[in-house]
Amino acid sequence: MSAVAARYEEFEALGVQVLSISVDSPFVHKIWDDKELSIIAGHPVPFPMLSDSSGAIGELYGVYDRVEGVNVRGRFLIDPKGNIQAMEVLTPPVGRNVSEALRQIKAYQLVQRTGGKEVTPSGWQEGGKTLKPGIELVGKVWEQWTVADSYK
Amino acid sequence: MPMVGKPAPMFEAAAYHKGKFTNVKLEDYKDQWVMLCFYPGDFTFV
Repeated sequence: MSAVAARYEEFEALGVQVLSISVDSPFVHKIWDDKELSIIAGHPVPFPMLSDSSGAIGELYGVYDRVEGVNVRGRFLIDPKGNIQAMEVLTPPVGRNVSEALRQIKAYQLVQRTGGKEVTPSGWQEGGKTLKPGIELVGKVWEQWTVADSYK
Repeated sequence: MPMVGKPAPMFEAAAYHKGKFTNVKLEDYKDQWVMLCFYPGDFTFV
């Protein structure tokens, strides 16, 4: 979570509210922030750190491991209408990629801004080539986009 | 189970935020993007 805290300004600039959540109590969150996260991130954690002590919220999102009594790593992007647009669930030993979360948010915001008239192909990065779905594009993606356009 | 393109389950939770203990409701963030991050536990390593 310290990596998200360290890059919080980028989320803020995109109008994204970050919420972290684990089964730990708010008291433990405070000590973790005071003693470790704020040191790694360079400043105190700027977003709310939520407590899901019973695992009930994790159950709702399908990430609560009843045997271990913890929530596994799960990242959900929720749009302004309250719909989940993206989710990523990982087992504990592998961490997330903050850059990928930001990339996906920018992509979804572009799609919503254009009312779905533009969509983002595989590997799209900010400023990169988008596609305009429609009958003219059927069977012609190869004319407009190559793998090298995104994966440079 | 959650599903992309479908409504996010609503919840309310106790929280720690900037030196204070507070309560957070997901519905308070309607009209904003939210990134909700579950993780296994405080003081874990990754």
